[in-house]
Amino acid sequence: MAEVKILVVDDESDFATTLSERLELRGFAAKAVSGAEEGMALLASGWRPNVVLLDLMMPGIDGLAALDLFKRHDPKLQVIILTGHGSTESGILGMKRGLFDYLMKPVDIGELVEKIRQASEVAASGG
Amino acid sequence: MKQKNSRGAAFPIFCVHKNENISATARYKCMRRSLLVIMLAITLIPLAIVSALNFVQYRQLLREDSLANARWSAESARAAIDAYLEKLEAAIIVLIDTYSFAELSEPRRLNQVFRQLKKEHQGLVDLSVIGADGVQRAYVGPYRLVGKDYSDSNWFHPALSKKIYVSEVFMGFRNVPHFVVASSKKEATSDEFWLLRASIDAETLDRFLAAVNTEAVEDIFLVSDKGVLQSSSRYQGGVLSEYHLADKPKQSGMLLSEDVRGEDLFYRAVSRIKNTPWLLVLDQQGYAKRKIWLFFKGRLLLTLSLCALAVGGVVIWLAGFLANKLKESDEARDAILSETEHTSKLASIGRLAAGVAHEINNPLAIIGEKAGLMEDLLGLDESFRHREKFLAQLQDLRGAVGRARAITHRLLGFARRMETSLSLVSLNEVIHEVLSFLEKEAAYRNIHIILQLQPELPAIMGDHGQLQQVFLNIINNAIDAVGNHGEIHITSYPGEGKKVQVAISDTGPGMSPEVRKHIFEPFFTTKMDKEKRGTGLGLSITYGIVKKLGGEVEVSSELGVGTTFILSFPAYQENGGGEAHG
Repeated sequence: MAEVKILVVDDESDFATTLSERLELRGFAAKAVSGAEEGMALLASGWRPNVVLLDLMMPGIDGLAALDLFKRHDPKLQVIILTGHGSTESGILGMKRGLFDYLMKPVDIGELVEKIRQASEVAASGG
Repeated sequence: MKQKNSRGAAFPIFCVHKNENISATARYKCMRRSLLVIMLAITLIPLAIVSALNFVQYRQLLREDSLANARWSAESARAAIDAYLEKLEAAIIVLIDTYSFAELSEPRRLNQVFRQLKKEHQGLVDLSVIGADGVQRAYVGPYRLVGKDYSDSNWFHPALSKKIYVSEVFMGFRNVPHFVVASSKKEATSDEFWLLRASIDAETLDRFLAAVNTEAVEDIFLVSDKGVLQSSSRYQGGVLSEYHLADKPKQSGMLLSEDVRGEDLFYRAVSRIKNTPWLLVLDQQGYAKRKIWLFFKGRLLLTLSLCALAVGGVVIWLAGFLANKLKESDEARDAILSETEHTSKLASIGRLAAGVAHEINNPLAIIGEKAGLMEDLLGLDESFRHREKFLAQLQDLRGAVGRARAITHRLLGFARRMETSLSLVSLNEVIHEVLSFLEKEAAYRNIHIILQLQPELPAIMGDHGQLQQVFLNIINNAIDAVGNHGEIHITSYPGEGKKVQVAISDTGPGMSPEVRKHIFEPFFTTKMDKEKRGTGLGLSITYGIVKKLGGEVEVSSELGVGTTFILSFPAYQENGGGEAHG
């Protein structure tokens, strides 16, 4: 299986960079950005991730709007929301818009890796 | 304060307390008293008024009847005496008009006339002829009165001047009470007046009066205008005793009066007897129909007493019943208010908890990730001198993050408990699922879980996940409470009123009433062990979920015996019953 590319989008850049470093240590190609705009710019530059880890509450474009943007850009792209603000409504809304999964911070790295693998398999199979 | 005011306003008449801090029991007692007084007043006052009106009306009727009776009795007696006198007077006038002084002065003739007269007029004692000089010329009778001089007698001169005259009762020469009926005539030959006089025993009057002296009549007698009794009286004395009447009728007619003496009414009828100096007096004490009156009074009193007793009994019962109903309703309202307050408190705490959890989760995630990265890097570098010590520290750090995470996730769960996804749920299945998580720990600690699950248990409408959480919390608490070798009984059964109930009993140490009071409050925990410190949210989440699903949680606990939680949920009914609230 080809290398799985992951984009971590979170306004808490400390969290995003640390997480992407850890994912890289686990064999993923991960990049961290601090907002949806930056993420979209990266995608526009031609870097095509398989999975996006997306924060829900961010300044500017929030998580659900960003989900729409990413999915519009690449419908095969699988998005996992990773948030400290858990609410069932936002989870349901996300699921309706093609969200792969919804995880609460702080997340166990093992659990996250497992979800990423499942999502990447879905992405590889064409969404 | 609002409650106090509203309660005060409900019964302000008899329950005005300067000190508003009276106990609830005192308030309900006071209200019961007020109800009692008001209801007794509105029932007994009309009863008393109607009875009093009846009493007055009936007494009035009897009074009128008594007065009529007194009038009739007096009238009868007067008529009898009148008739007697009229007949006698007529006979004497006929005799004096028929015979001359000389003819009647003959003893034989007078005797003959007397015998004839006596046959028709009872009480006649004697008959005599008296000359203008007042000397008795002829006499027929039992006394020796011939030659007696009456010129100084009170009756003589008035009698001479009248065609017919009836005297007062007097003793006379014979010294026996009697009265005279005399008629005068002018003798054509001598041009002088003479008298034909009939004496009648005073007892004759008594006989006439006795004829009307019935049970109702207390006393009947004759009295002269001068105040001398002309007949014997039961209460005023014998014949010729002195007795002065206060009120007298003027000429003819009858004087009726009513007087109260002690408890009795007293009626008097006074009537003049025509052409005589006599007044007939009839006294009637009490009511003429005394027996009827006493019977009526007794019946009225008995009826009134029975009605008052019956009304009193009903009112006492009703006042108690209403006060109890009001008390129950107030208590139910207080319970609802307190429950609403509790739920609202839980919801506020929930919202606060969610906000706090969210704010904490982000820095917690950074700490976790940083620690994780450090661990990852240390894992790559085996040559680092303090690697093991660092790894141990990082593990502690991750452990602490894990604990904090557990708390924030539960806080968010607590906040989320209002959101439910409803489906038909079998509580037996939920219990089995929950036990599958816990049975390893129970087996490890030799805890015996005894299941008595009713196979035909009706399903309930609920959120499967939330119900799992409910049973997980309660059974987990029971496992923590019983310690090693304890017992937990889980029983499911259909409850009364289309309910499904599950009882979870443990043989743990039980709870004090003080602990029992707070167990559903958020952040209240008795698990103070370092390793298994509780968040204090488990039972408040449980409580919230059960209430949300329209259920109830009952807890009974005894120190040293154990604790039982009974969860009741409405059974699902196809006609739309058994749905969760909200």
